[in-house]
Amino acid sequence: MARRTRRSRRARRGVTIGVLLLASITVITLDYRGDGRGAISWVKHAANDAFSPLHRGLDAVVRPIGSFLAGAVHAGAIEQQNAKLRNELNRAQSKLGSAQLTRNELQALERLDHLPWVGDITTVTATVVALNPSNFAATVQLDKGTAQGVAVGMPVVAGAGLVGQVVDSWSSGCTIRLVTDAASAVGVRYGSGGLALVQGTGLGRPLAVNYVDPGTPLSTGTLLVTSGLQNAKFPPDIPVARVTHVSSTPSATQESVSAQSVADLAQLQYVDVLLWSSSSS
Amino acid sequence: MTTTDLARATLVVFVVLGVQHSLLDAVRVDGAHPDAMLLLPVAAGYAAGPDRGAIFGFFSGLAADLFLPTPFGLSALVGCLLGYATGVATRGLVRSSWWLPPAVAAAATAGGMTAYAILGAVLGQPGMLRAYLVPALVVGTPAAAVLATPVLRMVAWAVPASAADRGAQAGGGLR
Repeated sequence: MARRTRRSRRARRGVTIGVLLLASITVITLDYRGDGRGAISWVKHAANDAFSPLHRGLDAVVRPIGSFLAGAVHAGAIEQQNAKLRNELNRAQSKLGSAQLTRNELQALERLDHLPWVGDITTVTATVVALNPSNFAATVQLDKGTAQGVAVGMPVVAGAGLVGQVVDSWSSGCTIRLVTDAASAVGVRYGSGGLALVQGTGLGRPLAVNYVDPGTPLSTGTLLVTSGLQNAKFPPDIPVARVTHVSSTPSATQESVSAQSVADLAQLQYVDVLLWSSSSS
Repeated sequence: MTTTDLARATLVVFVVLGVQHSLLDAVRVDGAHPDAMLLLPVAAGYAAGPDRGAIFGFFSGLAADLFLPTPFGLSALVGCLLGYATGVATRGLVRSSWWLPPAVAAAATAGGMTAYAILGAVLGQPGMLRAYLVPALVVGTPAAAVLATPVLRMVAWAVPASAADRGAQAGGGLR
């Protein structure tokens, strides 16, 4: 009798786990087949819309604690950075008079306000509301969505250059895939017409610059800007990264080049979404 | 499972989800942060056995998937497997040691993250194994050990073990 009960419990358990696995696989399949427009996406967007006011409320209360914890984790690095910045500031102050300094700051702010490479493209300024919600993708969430005209595929820039691209958007927000994400690939141009592909290798890691021919004269510090090719995934001439390392191996089919994003992706707070699509180019 | 249990389970999932996105997401080291949502199925499997662990893991995973950029259903699949595996693996353990829940949480989280990365790679997500897995393990595993006790307490309050699973737990249940 006891053996029969144990057997029936085991069978029931098998059915439960089987049904759950099947349900999971069905949901994954529906998500893939919907391709951002199906029922699953609708549910996700509705949940994000519903959760965002609560998220912002919670964020206001809890973020200082998170920042404190993050600060505790990075205390050493922050102290070092503070010392470095203090040193740089002292040096700058000794070199420049305060009037000159004020003038420079004003010019920098003006540059931020009129990003030269944006041209006449309409922009929507957005605030970053969630940083890197998954350990397995380099993404951020913004507080502007379809209600403000933000759509999938639009480029996102910060003061210094390209930040990433919109991969999902709903009424009150959107998700941006950062240039450092492993799925990100940006066609770039450098020097006098050289072309390459900048690919992400994970958050906080250097970018890989691929398809640079052997013997190409590429030096550290070279600026890589969007090419405007690649079926116009991005408008041309947006700064993407600066080359940080170049090395060549004999018999290699390409140079080994790495680069650093020009935008400070670790400290994103405000960004501009360019209301631009490949069809408008 | 009663309506009260269901309400408690929902409350716990939403509280942990809120803490995850408002607090833990900000604690980043090398691009990775602690993952309390992955700890929910582990805690449910440990506290309530494989059946309820799998069910709770599936639904908490679905809730997590709503706010993640990775394929919808991936966390549900991993949560369901993780809750079940943790329940089966810890069913016969004597639960008298204080270090057992953190050790189980750390080991199961490492297993869950690896499974997540492998399944993600199978589904065609780039960089899951090469770019993201190592930082996630380095940060997520010790963090899971630290978060194990409070999360276990909450989940044990929300998802009690069934009579059959209670009988199978040795050493007086949750510690």
